[in-house]
Amino acid sequence: MSEFEPKIVGFFCNWCTFTAADLAGTSRLSYPHNIKIIRMMCSGMVDPKYVIKAFLNGADGVLIGGCWPGDCHYINGNLKARRRVAMLTEILKEYGIDEKRFWLRWIAASEGTMLREVVNEMTAKLKELGPSPLNRETPGKKTPGNETPEKVNPEKVKMIG
Amino acid sequence: MSERIGFYICHCGINIAYRVRVAEVAAYASTFPGVVVARDYLFMCSDPGQELIEKDIRNLDLTRVVVASCSPRMHEKTFRAACQRAGLNPYHAFHMVCVREHGSWVTENEDEATEKARVIVRAGLKRVSFQNALIPSQFSVNSNSLIVGGGIAGMQAAIDIASAGFKAYLVEKAPTVGGHMLQYDKAFPTLDCTACIGTPKMVAVGQDKNVELRSYAEVEHVSGFVGNFKVTINNKARYIKSNCTGCGDCAKVCPVDFPNEWDVNTKMRKAIYLSFPQAVPVRYVIDKRTTAPCRTACPAGTNVQGYVQMVKTGNYQQALNIIMERLPLPGVLGRVCPHPCEIDCRRAEVDSAVSIRDLKRFAADHARLEDVPMPMVEEIDKKIAVIGSGPVGLTVAYYLRRKGFKISMFESMEKPGGMLRTGIPDYRLPPSILDQEINHILSKGVELKTGMALGRDFTLASLKDQGFDAIFLGIGAHVPVKMNIENEDAEGVVDAVWFLRKENLERARSAKKRVVIIGGGNAAMDTARVAVRSGAESVSVVYRRTEKEMPADHEEIEGAKEEGIEFITLTGPKKVVTENGRVIGIECIKNELGPADAGGRRRPVPIAGSEYVIACDMIIPAIGQSVETAPVIKDTPFELTAWGTFKVDPDTMQTSVPGVFAAGDAVTGPATVVEAIAGGHKVVTAIERYLNQEMDLFDAERKQKEENSVPEEKNYVPIPEKAAIVARAKATFVEPLSRKSTFEEVDLGLSEAAAQSDAAKCLNCGGCCECKLCVDTCKAKAIDHDIKDQREIVDVGSIIIATGFDPLDPTPMTQYGYGRYANVFTNLEFERLSNATGPTLGKLLKRDLNDRMKFTEPPKSVAILHCIGSRDINYHEYCSRTCCMYALKYAHLLKDKCGHNTQVYNFYIDMRCFGKGYEEFYKKVQSEGVRMIRGKVGSIKEAKNGMLTVLAEDTLSGRMVEIEVDMAILCTAMEPRTNAQDVMRKFGIGIGADGFFQEEHPKLAPVSTPSSGVFLAGACQGPKDIPDTVAQAKGAAAECLALSAKGIVEVPPMISWIDPDVCVGCQVCIGLCPYSAIEFDDFNSISIVNSAVCKGCGSCAGHCPSGAAKVRHFTDQQVFAEIDGLLLN
Repeated sequence: MSEFEPKIVGFFCNWCTFTAADLAGTSRLSYPHNIKIIRMMCSGMVDPKYVIKAFLNGADGVLIGGCWPGDCHYINGNLKARRRVAMLTEILKEYGIDEKRFWLRWIAASEGTMLREVVNEMTAKLKELGPSPLNRETPGKKTPGNETPEKVNPEKVKMIG
Repeated sequence: MSERIGFYICHCGINIAYRVRVAEVAAYASTFPGVVVARDYLFMCSDPGQELIEKDIRNLDLTRVVVASCSPRMHEKTFRAACQRAGLNPYHAFHMVCVREHGSWVTENEDEATEKARVIVRAGLKRVSFQNALIPSQFSVNSNSLIVGGGIAGMQAAIDIASAGFKAYLVEKAPTVGGHMLQYDKAFPTLDCTACIGTPKMVAVGQDKNVELRSYAEVEHVSGFVGNFKVTINNKARYIKSNCTGCGDCAKVCPVDFPNEWDVNTKMRKAIYLSFPQAVPVRYVIDKRTTAPCRTACPAGTNVQGYVQMVKTGNYQQALNIIMERLPLPGVLGRVCPHPCEIDCRRAEVDSAVSIRDLKRFAADHARLEDVPMPMVEEIDKKIAVIGSGPVGLTVAYYLRRKGFKISMFESMEKPGGMLRTGIPDYRLPPSILDQEINHILSKGVELKTGMALGRDFTLASLKDQGFDAIFLGIGAHVPVKMNIENEDAEGVVDAVWFLRKENLERARSAKKRVVIIGGGNAAMDTARVAVRSGAESVSVVYRRTEKEMPADHEEIEGAKEEGIEFITLTGPKKVVTENGRVIGIECIKNELGPADAGGRRRPVPIAGSEYVIACDMIIPAIGQSVETAPVIKDTPFELTAWGTFKVDPDTMQTSVPGVFAAGDAVTGPATVVEAIAGGHKVVTAIERYLNQEMDLFDAERKQKEENSVPEEKNYVPIPEKAAIVARAKATFVEPLSRKSTFEEVDLGLSEAAAQSDAAKCLNCGGCCECKLCVDTCKAKAIDHDIKDQREIVDVGSIIIATGFDPLDPTPMTQYGYGRYANVFTNLEFERLSNATGPTLGKLLKRDLNDRMKFTEPPKSVAILHCIGSRDINYHEYCSRTCCMYALKYAHLLKDKCGHNTQVYNFYIDMRCFGKGYEEFYKKVQSEGVRMIRGKVGSIKEAKNGMLTVLAEDTLSGRMVEIEVDMAILCTAMEPRTNAQDVMRKFGIGIGADGFFQEEHPKLAPVSTPSSGVFLAGACQGPKDIPDTVAQAKGAAAECLALSAKGIVEVPPMISWIDPDVCVGCQVCIGLCPYSAIEFDDFNSISIVNSAVCKGCGSCAGHCPSGAAKVRHFTDQQVFAEIDGLLLN
């Protein structure tokens, strides 16, 4: 049986992390294929419901990539993202989504190497954690991996779903 | 209508196809609902590739197109254009999926790469059907350009833009344009003189009508977008108007010297200076910083730095003139001021504070009061009565007289001077000095009436009747405060005020044999020392705390001790012991120090049962004075404070009676002379405003003060690291034995040599000392010390950043000894030596071992060290690109200027002579006999005689080499400017891993940035030599011109929109919008986006609780579809 391959959705700011991903490509820095990138104009544009939607659809992890504080192309969108992420992390925990599955990272356009490190690290971490509890709840989608189930409150899961 | 989707995947030669099985992905896409065609092709971006799409759109009636290829940041525009050509709205029809940068190039396994491509293609196919037609807005382009940085890049770009007929604003933060290139001497490989090729460019930007030169200016703020930027420029105050002729007369008289930044501190300049003779604009500039701390510490605001500098240069008259601007009694203050200025003096951080008070006295003793100029003013027909002739009365009288008012001064005693005459003993302040200074004030037309006491000989009402327009009360505090102990009225108890007055005015010699003085202030010290002189055999000072808490000046306490006065501390008076009504002793009680009081001083606590008696014949309490208000309030109901002083407005000093002002001890209670003078100055301003009916100015000032309550950052001149330790100048004092019996002055003042050397210690914290000698000497009348920074807002359509580089500071590389060894130079220092306007006028000379600003003889041997901080993982990994070549140039110049027998060693890692004519130059220099040693220098050591030993490995022969040289030159790296981060944020551009500004594409967009309309030129983008810089500048100018010439710019339509049917009017988005682009429509109770201002960041959409705010092209439906595509089969 093949190893558990986590699904990671990346919401990347066009001006920094998305460009860093381009740079990683140009520099041929290989990293796990698990991450799939959605281009955003700013990390501050990432609506909490996009993150929730990704988890509901079976993502094992979500990575938001924004500019370093002070470097936002739109003055301070990244700081708004930071606040939203802080709050959303707490909400997700209530639904059994471990905060280790939801990352916000500052990755500047020139930091292709850092992008690779972050993706490597996140993929490894998620492999340790196993599939998202929401993912495992879906019938017929059982993926082998971490056998200890994370705490899930099924009532609440239903409430969003 | 159902969607008809076309899918295209690119091989990108083999870049994609070597990892992603493109045909398989295309086959997968063809099974996707709505896909009518799915193709793979070798180069989708090529002409045939684009044509393929266009044909399919036409022939197969495609409604949507998805291309999977490189990053959308690369070719999104290309394919959008293709769709548009084929008649589709590109925003509606087109989506691009990145399978190269995010796929084939970063995934090692073919299966994984193909799978990843399949998943992201699926997401793209899902998304595209939800896209909407958008039409980009068009805006006109302002044809002006802004260029930031006046080096060769900025100048070239400005000239090119100007010659095309458009206007260029060239902003340079230094006082002159030119930049690094003009600091150099020759330019490799052609060895043309940089001044010869650079100064014409400087002149051109200075003279061209289309170039708006803003030197000594900085961009503070940028707003707007491509074609329509609004830029705030701060034109820093030069203090020199544009009619400056550049003659340099001002610099000749300026007393303040600083190292010249333009010459990288190898030469001095004045506080008023021109960076170098060919500077453009040829307009001097004054280096002014935060007002010096001594000046702000002085209650009267005396220009301390100014007169200290004047003493330094021996211009004692000007020193006195400066003092007299704020202090009407220079000789008095030079003797009795407690000098708060010296407490704040920053020189104390090096060794000790400048002896400011002694310098003031020196100036007063060595210049003539009669020669102090009076302002040329017309007589004003307003009469002012000044009551009291103490320091505050004299201040008010003198400075109002200088403004032209008519002054009458009333004094109750026989002679003017107040406490200065009655309270300060003659050995500290000789009466001749006081008379001389008061007479000078009177000689300016102040009428003095002595023997006239308020309440006895005249009243305020009688003054009004005599036609006085304003009245000033400066009656001081002359009434002794009582001790409130038993037998206080016994014979032999005399208060300090009366005792001193009697001794000072009548020479009464009234002291008895054994005198006890109660108190620890300056009055107590004065009394004690006068008692000694007036015949007492023993004098004791009784003070309730310890000596540390005594308010008296340290030097007064010391002086008293030298004269044999006994100090009995921690002791308080309890009762006067009498016999037949005469004092025979004083009963005292011992104290200990308890907890601190509100003022921070520890409170004395009596120790019960410790009473004892000190036998004495005379007791003189010196514990304070109060104001004698009774005769004044008898006629006029003044409001008083709880302390019994006059109540005044703290800004206007006006009493409760309009038109009557008060200051000095009568308001503050007993205080220092300089504090009284400070109050006097406030009164002068207030009375002038009162008489001109301008009292509302105070309100305006108060308001302004409240608004600017943030303290400004202190920008003092930095303390030099290598300042020599100089002992504080000491005045000469008369020996205690000989001075004890006489009232002659004790302090004899400083010698001229001591005064000048002490004045030379001044660090000139405030930059310019404002002696204003330059103002008098300037024939063009171009100097105005009151000019302020001026902000202007300019509209431009495009911006070029050409801010250049900083040279690396090699001081931290201690192995090379830069800064410690006299003859280790940086490249820029060497350039200045070689330059004809530098410290040696172009001669290459060694530095004096003891004086970094002195140069001696030509070197006989020189080591040139390449790659200092470049290609070094401890500093910068990049190559600075210019060092190899200028190192060769230095070798040539040394051979040329110092003779062919000069030994020159080049220590290099690799020679990089890549440009046109560079390799040839290398060969030529080698043929001149320059030694090339391949290896990096490990260390430099200096011998006692200044010879340097250079230790390196010759990697070609594999041996260590040790070479003795006279001089070493460090070829330092080019670094990003220290303020690169600020510039990046201001203009919304990016910084690369090396710290330089990031171009949009390293090959195809080398001068563009992610911010549309903002371009890069020169070394701010990366290390560059002059030819490359000029070429890039011309490229950036061409980009600006392209915008200006077209006149129209399209702005991407991906901006926010608020659905009016959904918005609930909560207005949260209004607070979130960083551009204030959202307004509230009161009538409909909804928020509305101003599309001209919105930039599409999505801050509103990311938050909107009702989901009404969306960013076009990033709607919930579109993003959800993409998420679905990524995660669901």
